[in-house]
Amino acid sequence: MGRGVMLMSGGIDSPVALYYLLRQGHEVVAVHMDNRPFTDDSPLEKVLDHLTILRERFRQPIPLYVVPHGSTQVTLMRSTDRHVGCILCRRFMWRSAERIALRENATFLITGEALGQVASQTLSNMRSATQAVSLPIVRPLVGLDKQEIEAVAKEIGTYTISTRPGVCCQAVPDRPATRSRLLSILEEEARVDAEAILEDCVRRATVM
Amino acid sequence: MTPDDPGSRPPAPVRYRTLRLCSNGGGYEALPDRRASLDLPRYRRTLEAAGRTVIDARVMLIVQLPPEVTITRGGRFLFKTRDPERARAALAQLLDLLGLDGSLAPPQGR
Repeated sequence: MGRGVMLMSGGIDSPVALYYLLRQGHEVVAVHMDNRPFTDDSPLEKVLDHLTILRERFRQPIPLYVVPHGSTQVTLMRSTDRHVGCILCRRFMWRSAERIALRENATFLITGEALGQVASQTLSNMRSATQAVSLPIVRPLVGLDKQEIEAVAKEIGTYTISTRPGVCCQAVPDRPATRSRLLSILEEEARVDAEAILEDCVRRATVM
Repeated sequence: MTPDDPGSRPPAPVRYRTLRLCSNGGGYEALPDRRASLDLPRYRRTLEAAGRTVIDARVMLIVQLPPEVTITRGGRFLFKTRDPERARAALAQLLDLLGLDGSLAPPQGR
């Protein structure tokens, strides 16, 4: 079985996606992009609690990298078009995950994304975001609807953790782009020094 | 323009009357009585002069009162506390620092 890097948000979907990968016998390294101060402490606390449950269930160590992402958000908000902020944010998340995958000898990336669950989860946005990386991306939940995902989350005991109160990401614009053009995204991203941002974030990541 | 011409008057001051739990229940948000366009650079200078640490993200400020509060250009304040009394006290403190008006009814939950 392979070794993958999983982006964990603290939401309902990512622990379910992780559960499916672990059930198949894959080794997984978790990555949490820490959005403070645009959120509160709750997303990280939820990820830690999700991992406690899944580590115990599968009797498997799941290392967690916590990557500081708030300073990236500040840079993006200062320098780029707000409407595509979520896509640019995702590109940095994917890049960070890929950088950690290379460090961890992992060969693929994993996400809890499902098509169309939120306005910004469109095919064009996914393509614009994932164009930033070259490792294959596994989406175990892509064909499931929300009710099916929630049912599994309840069964494995992660649902009540995910739905605890928390501050939503304050960096999300009022009207996020739903149909992005890759060329426009690349032009926006060129306004910042992507490599320097990435290098700084991954260097400051902590392993828990 | 004459002094009676509405176009020559400064915009009416923003007032805060609402403090309520935010949608995910993680904090309290204060909303202005109308859509505002806050002068964030000026408020940043004011808050820093008062000794507060401010992160300037251009379209919003994040301020350590404490608690931490997000101030958007549109006038929304989000206080990162789940304690309504702490949020209420923080709002009063923030309005005082910024010279804004607010007279709240008791905080509203959801």
